Amino acid sequence: MVTTGRPPAKAASTAAEPPRTSITKGIGLGGGLLIGLGVIAVLAFFSIALGSRSITIQTVIDAFFDPDATSTDLTVIRDMRVPRTLLAIVVGMALGIGGTLLQGVARNPLADPGVMGINAGAALAIVGGIMLIGVQSAGGYVWFSFIGAGIATVIVYGLAATGREGATPVKLALAGAAVTAVFTSVTSAILLSNVDVLNELRFWQVGALSGRFMPIFWQLAPFLVIASAIALFAGRPLNTLALGDDVARALGQPVALTRTIVFVLIAVLCGASTAAAGPIAFLGLMVPHLARFICGPDYRWILPFSAILGPILLLACDIAGRVVAAPGELQVGVVIGIVGAPVFIALARFRKLVEL
Amino acid sequence: MTRTAIAPAARSFRAHRRARVRWGIALSAGLAIAVVVIFVLSMSVGSVTVPPLDVVLATIGSPTEKWHTFIIYELRLPRAITAVVVGLALGASGAIFQRLLRNPLASPDFLGVSSGANVAVVAGFVLWNLTGYQLSTAAIIGGFATAILIYVLAWRGTVSGYRFILVGIGISSLMASATSYLLTRATISDAKAAMSWLIGSVGMAKTSDIIALAVALVLLLPASAFLGKRLRVLELGDGTATALGARVTLDRLLLMLAAVILVALATAAAGPIAFVALMAGPIASRISPRADESIFRAACVGALIVQLSDMTAQHLLATPISTGIVTGFVGAPYIAWIIIRANKSGAAG
Amino acid sequence: MTSSHSLEVADLTLGYDDRNIVERVTTTIPAGEITAIIGANASGKSTLLRGVARLLKPRNGSVILDGKAVHDMRSLDVAKVIGLLPQSPVAPDSITVGDLVSRGRYPHQGWFARWNAEDDKAVGDALEATGTAELVDRKLAELSGGQRQRVWIAMALAQGTDILLLDEPTTYLDINYQVEVLDLLTDLNRRSGATIVMVLHELNLACRYADHVVAMRSGGIVVEGRPNEVITSDVVQEVFGLSCDVMPCPRSGTPMVIPLGRHHMAEREAVRAG
Repeated sequence: MVTTGRPPAKAASTAAEPPRTSITKGIGLGGGLLIGLGVIAVLAFFSIALGSRSITIQTVIDAFFDPDATSTDLTVIRDMRVPRTLLAIVVGMALGIGGTLLQGVARNPLADPGVMGINAGAALAIVGGIMLIGVQSAGGYVWFSFIGAGIATVIVYGLAATGREGATPVKLALAGAAVTAVFTSVTSAILLSNVDVLNELRFWQVGALSGRFMPIFWQLAPFLVIASAIALFAGRPLNTLALGDDVARALGQPVALTRTIVFVLIAVLCGASTAAAGPIAFLGLMVPHLARFICGPDYRWILPFSAILGPILLLACDIAGRVVAAPGELQVGVVIGIVGAPVFIALARFRKLVEL
Repeated sequence: MTRTAIAPAARSFRAHRRARVRWGIALSAGLAIAVVVIFVLSMSVGSVTVPPLDVVLATIGSPTEKWHTFIIYELRLPRAITAVVVGLALGASGAIFQRLLRNPLASPDFLGVSSGANVAVVAGFVLWNLTGYQLSTAAIIGGFATAILIYVLAWRGTVSGYRFILVGIGISSLMASATSYLLTRATISDAKAAMSWLIGSVGMAKTSDIIALAVALVLLLPASAFLGKRLRVLELGDGTATALGARVTLDRLLLMLAAVILVALATAAAGPIAFVALMAGPIASRISPRADESIFRAACVGALIVQLSDMTAQHLLATPISTGIVTGFVGAPYIAWIIIRANKSGAAG
Repeated sequence: MTSSHSLEVADLTLGYDDRNIVERVTTTIPAGEITAIIGANASGKSTLLRGVARLLKPRNGSVILDGKAVHDMRSLDVAKVIGLLPQSPVAPDSITVGDLVSRGRYPHQGWFARWNAEDDKAVGDALEATGTAELVDRKLAELSGGQRQRVWIAMALAQGTDILLLDEPTTYLDINYQVEVLDLLTDLNRRSGATIVMVLHELNLACRYADHVVAMRSGGIVVEGRPNEVITSDVVQEVFGLSCDVMPCPRSGTPMVIPLGRHHMAEREAVRAG
């Protein structure tokens, strides 16, 4: 688009260093984080207790405090629900933070991992893995989808970073669409020619936490936790980057380097999450907006709030999927889609909330 | 022609304008001829090669050999016609959406119109065992319902392009989520059939689909050419368009309606063939820098993309693949090229 | 010819969402003259112009063209009389100058009418008047800011209206281009008697080029009239909150606003005293 006259005047309301939050507000937000942790604990308990097999509270407590107790219920809890719950917490945290980083670095309120080609990359790698080596379980997919997501991110970023201005938001969106197109084409070609692969992939594609056991958690948790911990320190650079590349440079920030580091974090966080639970749309998109709604435009607060809100939403949706559709269950990816789309559209309608 | 004295400025502008019109006509004619040539060629190649001249003779009803009639009429003509009409429809509707919303990514693929058709068809397959023209009807209803939903949700007094795109992305993600869910509920054979529909191929069109789409094209392509005059003004932004006397809301609604009808019928015929609508308009304007933009040329480019992709899909490998798989491969380098071009002109912000 | 159209604003209230930006404004735009609307940011000056150009529906009152409310008239009929250059007009990426300017002829072309000699003449004249005739084949995106603004003005001229509204036509242009654009508009006014209404940021240029200024503050008109008569230091203080001296320009005699500020003034006093 050619615009004459006034260049788009970006809201200058987000100051480089937002005025030092007053102590009371700091205490309020800190308290909010603690309450959030409490909510996670409560949801985690329900996530362990509720499900298609109803289990008494006593049994849940036994499962934790009586190492000798054995029963079918305990097996269900230890082998299925605990890993599932733990996975929901770390994946929720990673997607929340990853979405925030992505929106911050792409300066695009609509950026989510799907847009960056991460899901398409993971899907292709899984399809390839099934075809070539015949991996047959969620546990087996993990490394394939992690690597696929990583490769897709590298290609998207590499493509977008060519040229003088580096990876601008528009180029990122285009590069993501391009990579998604090719990867999806190859995936489709394989799916149509091989029914077994299609059968595996359609259950992965929907995004679910069920059937993930403890080894998956242990494989991925280190990546998710470490990358999340590092990402929590990205608040200041993101605040500066939010003002545009020129201002950020003028304020002394190495823009290209910051962007690259943040992208590595995004690749690890979103790639590992997608490996663990399949493509969960909307979580990474929604959480940053909710966080911004609670604590304003300061990324030093948005990041921890995203880390808390992500698990809350994912746990709540996962529990809802089990309760609503009992005795069966609705995959968490579907529940998030149903909850997320209206929220997203509401944000689009009331644009003030969307502005970064 | 009145031969009154013409000011030099007017004369030089008239020369400039006429040159552009001539270029436009020449390009349109060239593209139309290319579509016809590929149309004949696509019927000529195959397991048995029929010389192009014999294809033409067989098509107009005086075959040189009896068996030509069978091969052309029964096997190749339906597919060749589908490729042309689907491509024309996708190209035209993509160009309308992109120019109307002033965004090169605003094609029906991204805006949820085809995703609505997807959900309807997969649901029809999986939940109600629909077949044949019932599925086409489902696709049309799904596409329309989604388009209306997006329009209503994006409405706040007026429809702004930006909000329309955002709502479209939201709805299409929801639809994608619903489609994935339905696929997990299906039997594996249903899932496979649904999947091949989701990828899209001109080979699966039914005669009724082709006729519906052809009728729509006969009515809507000229209508779009008329509306193109308004599009030229609407794409200058609401402010300028209003000042120039356009009825912005009404004109936009009419144009969107035309585009949605075309894309819904095309999707019903051949599934959501990806990226054709996205690419056709920009390619058409890129090859004709010396002429004004035209919906007709975008439609022709769309037809060429689908024709060539389908020929590739049928003949490149030992076994034919879906058209939609090939268009995805064509789409990616195209987008990469947009990025590189943006880098060169430095206008990538 | 002199513009024979009358344009009035009667008790006009305009706003976005839940806020009124312009409140009950009444004024008459002098025909055949250049009017500049001035005021601080958020004083409602652009909103008023957008209301007159029908981009906003009035919440109350009306804009009256030749005795009829413009919002009740056919849009195409209004477009033959009132043209507008918005503040940040947008155009497709690869549009050429000739293509853009010829789009200004839209209101003169019906559903079936073909492009005719009159259209050629209007576009040719517009290109010539703005000095953009040699740019017809160039892409808009490749032009400099000043050239681009002239092309947009050419598009508005091609519309062939007697009344031309411009929303900050000089903003983000270098000072030489600002003067160039204002000279061009003055030529137009002198030659064809077109009525020109523009929102201007630059106070001294407004005083120099306008026959009539309308000074706005918080959605209402503070004062209007000939610059010589209405621009005083009190008015500038009231409209912009700026302490200043106002003195006649030695060249043109139009008022010149010299801001006082907190620095440099005392030194000058000292020099004068010493």
